[in-house]
Amino acid sequence: MRRRALAAALLGVALIAAACTSSDSSGSSSGSGSGEPVTITLWHGYGKVESPNGQINHEALSLQNQIDAFNASQTGIRVEDVFCCSNDNALEKLTVALQGDLQPDVTYQYGTSMAQIATAPGVMDLAPLTQDAAYDWTDFFEGVRAAGTIDGKVLGVPAQVGNLAVIYNKDLFAAANVPEPTADWTWDDFVAAAKAIEDPSTPTFGMAFPADGSEDTVWHFDAMLWEAGGDILTEDNTHAAFNSPAGVEALTTLQTMAISDQSMFIDEANSKIDALFNAGNVGMVISGPWAVSGYKDINYGVQVMPAYASGSHQTISGQDFWVAFDNGSERAAATQTFLEWLTAPEQIQQDSMETGHLPTRSSIVTDQFVTDFNTKFPGEGLFAENLNNVQKARPALTSYDQVSQIMGQAIVSVLLGQAEPQQALDDAAAEVDQVLAGG
Amino acid sequence: MSAIDVSTLPGEIGMVEPPRRRWLPFSPWHLVLMPIALVMLVPLLWVVMTSFETLAQTQHFPPILWPGSFQWQNYPNALHSVPFGRWFWNTTVVTTVVVLSNLVLCALAAYGFARIKFFGKGVAYFFLLATLMVPIQVVLIPTFLIVKQMHLLNTLGALIVPNLANVFGIFMLTQFFRTLPIELEEAARIDGASRLKILFVIVLPLSLPALATLAVIQFLWTWNDFLWPLVTIYKENAFTLQLGLMSFQGSHANDTNLLMAGNVMSMLPVLLLFIAAQRYFVRGIATQGLKG
Amino acid sequence: MATVEEATPSGPSLAQRIWHSDNLAGWLFVLPAVFLVALFSIFPIIWGFILSLQKASLLSPIRPFVGIDNYTKIASDPHAITAARNAVVYTFLFVPSSIAIAMFLAIALNQKIRLIRFYRLAVFIPVAVSTIATGVMFLWVFDATFGIANWALGQVGLGPFGWFNSPQGALPSLVIMTVWGWLGFDTIIYLAALQGVPHELVEAAAVDGATRWSTFRNVTLPLLGPATLLLVVWSTISAVQLFDEVYFVTKGGPLEHTSVPVFYIFKLAFTSSFGFSAAGYAAALAYVLFLVILGLTLAQFWLGKRVVHYSS
Repeated sequence: MRRRALAAALLGVALIAAACTSSDSSGSSSGSGSGEPVTITLWHGYGKVESPNGQINHEALSLQNQIDAFNASQTGIRVEDVFCCSNDNALEKLTVALQGDLQPDVTYQYGTSMAQIATAPGVMDLAPLTQDAAYDWTDFFEGVRAAGTIDGKVLGVPAQVGNLAVIYNKDLFAAANVPEPTADWTWDDFVAAAKAIEDPSTPTFGMAFPADGSEDTVWHFDAMLWEAGGDILTEDNTHAAFNSPAGVEALTTLQTMAISDQSMFIDEANSKIDALFNAGNVGMVISGPWAVSGYKDINYGVQVMPAYASGSHQTISGQDFWVAFDNGSERAAATQTFLEWLTAPEQIQQDSMETGHLPTRSSIVTDQFVTDFNTKFPGEGLFAENLNNVQKARPALTSYDQVSQIMGQAIVSVLLGQAEPQQALDDAAAEVDQVLAGG
Repeated sequence: MSAIDVSTLPGEIGMVEPPRRRWLPFSPWHLVLMPIALVMLVPLLWVVMTSFETLAQTQHFPPILWPGSFQWQNYPNALHSVPFGRWFWNTTVVTTVVVLSNLVLCALAAYGFARIKFFGKGVAYFFLLATLMVPIQVVLIPTFLIVKQMHLLNTLGALIVPNLANVFGIFMLTQFFRTLPIELEEAARIDGASRLKILFVIVLPLSLPALATLAVIQFLWTWNDFLWPLVTIYKENAFTLQLGLMSFQGSHANDTNLLMAGNVMSMLPVLLLFIAAQRYFVRGIATQGLKG
Repeated sequence: MATVEEATPSGPSLAQRIWHSDNLAGWLFVLPAVFLVALFSIFPIIWGFILSLQKASLLSPIRPFVGIDNYTKIASDPHAITAARNAVVYTFLFVPSSIAIAMFLAIALNQKIRLIRFYRLAVFIPVAVSTIATGVMFLWVFDATFGIANWALGQVGLGPFGWFNSPQGALPSLVIMTVWGWLGFDTIIYLAALQGVPHELVEAAAVDGATRWSTFRNVTLPLLGPATLLLVVWSTISAVQLFDEVYFVTKGGPLEHTSVPVFYIFKLAFTSSFGFSAAGYAAALAYVLFLVILGLTLAQFWLGKRVVHYSS
């Protein structure tokens, strides 16, 4: 008995020792000196290249190909790409890594994380890149650029961009005898269509809306707010402006569908909308190009968001960025060189055609491109063109997340019938003013 | 005197009745247990069914519970598309070491707390319990820093060393040891046996149900841990299963069916261990010797 | 075997007394575990405490010292108060129901009937299924329009409930989901404890003509005391520290009705929903939470001393 216990203990120690001596971390740069390449690491969340569902993960493949091409094209820099985690966890993982000085050189981050990342030590200001005429910084869409620029510093290079448009179920429209949306349709048309399609017996909902109070909820509202002629904050970003008549109009539209017409599927968990739409239970969703691949079973159409009386069909853009960290002058320089290459027009166009990502540069969105794009990815052509409808951007403030949080709660409270639009927006505005004042 | 020979009914603890005419051809307990069991199995059913669906079928709500044709290849696909074997091995190594270590260290500590009077015992015990009261999210970063100092990051050691002795295990075994009749141990002590010997020869054999339970629970926790591996492991080859299952989730697309297949395969060892541990869920033999 | 004391007529030396003393033995037994736990907890506890005295962000190294401001803020923070209230309600619903049902189930699973192994496995399975999978499943089951819960209730004429969608119903729905998910855990601990109930006592009671219920109450229940104390303490700690299910399923909603302390702490420290320098405040909240749990646990142990009997 004792011998067995001893053996077990030794085995345990051996296992631990074996485990501990497995080779260690990323993040160490290889020596410089002549001829030896500088290695930089890149974290992404695209997953595996070969998804054995019989599909290739085009996002992962495209990135892989481009990195391979870059590595092959020169010998000074070697890029190592690492699938670090799902993009949802990217910020958390980065936060912990920074504590231990284990951050990569480049990481893929959501645009909504940018303000927080601005406070991180070592995050690189990519302004030099933007001042390079050959790079043509202004070629990137304005709203996208703005979202990555915090307090005047360019903290991210656009990696992906999307916007909101209406995706609708053609069959449900036909069954309800509602004409399909045209490019100049209005919110009244939208509400009426939703009401007509609504059918409690099947059950079928006219539209579905993410109601978890997160930024997803808020940015839908933002687009409507802008269309109604309103703004989120005042020009100088010191006060809330969303409780204007425009804001009330936008929120009332949502309220009508949620409460009076009951044509809205209120997705509290923000996880059911895509599956419901794909099952044919929802007439319209307001979503982005990423959602389209999940709607294979549906005969869908895409149309720009409807307008209010002013006739403005605005939309809102969402963007993700490549964020760079300064891990020493050599790696920093290598990183800048690589990012400049990765986001050059040629690579972006290649990536778009491979993955269905919307191009982040406006020069790429030519008529020919839109046609080709639409052929390969049905419906996405409109999203590409819709990028031109992005006129405003969300405030690039470090406190934006707090503002969003407050607005989100206000919107959800109206959708759940707990408050009236004006009251909810006024209360939220008061809270937001406090936050902006530094409270 | 006894109308029933209870020694033939080792399982009927807590509810012993004189035999009465049965109105049903089976024990009435089935009427309670079967519905409960079925209800408990529903989540597993859903996970398993989803694992046999095509990707398109998973993108439905309400979920499709009967896929029609079974995509058996989801399983080998999940296995081969990623270093699943490697992750399985990693997770097995980590979990085995942690479970064994806990069984030994927690038993030792629990015996000390349960049976030995020593100076500072109360303080030590409460110190241990107190560590349970701080949620992991708060100590995540400082613990990470410690592990980094020990140069264990990105190795399986990072997953093993902080978990070698789990306070819950100490707490649980202490409670269990205290329920054992002390006479046996006292007798052995008078005979001059060392405490260590008493622990291994008398106490542990009597505590098999508790030990088996601890093994299953610790196994479950370690096997399913996600947050800690997420922040300490950066190399794909060192991923654990839970971490690796993330690979089936791309930036915008979820291979839900493969994810579920991976989940099912990941659950199997835990369930197998549970089934194996069942045979330790028997009455301690020593109680037969007790009189009065 | 002659002891040292017998061999040395003048009595044991100090060294010998220490060697054979209970103190040394006790510490030797507990030292490995205590050392390991201390190694990984003392620094974090100090680190966390220092953090709670600063206005800090986890990303930035700039951390101005603010003294006990973080602590005094708590009483006037509506989010903290809501989280605290939710924690109280949740704990009071979760702990008694899970323990009572688990005790009943353990007894049921202790019967020697056919299929008992299958039943035991079935009860344990929800514990083995990942929290995410369980959460997604319950989101479907409890969906107000498409879920089978409302469908089933509709069959017996009960109105559709909002479950996770309704501000009032979300917390009870969470209770149901978590009791379900953790029932197997409590049950196997009780089952293990039941193996230690000597059947001679039960037999004697039956012979004396006791009913099943009084046998249970007077014989079994007291013998399950230690396990009950374990589960009450553990369940309370777990309930007050509820996080995963909220994080994956309700995200604190709707409208903060399922916001619980650890989730609020997490949002403060790891997200920017409440600004960037809230990590220190989050640490302060965590320490207050710790004190509350400590108090509750001490109270439970105190009560346990009076009520629970260990065999000896």
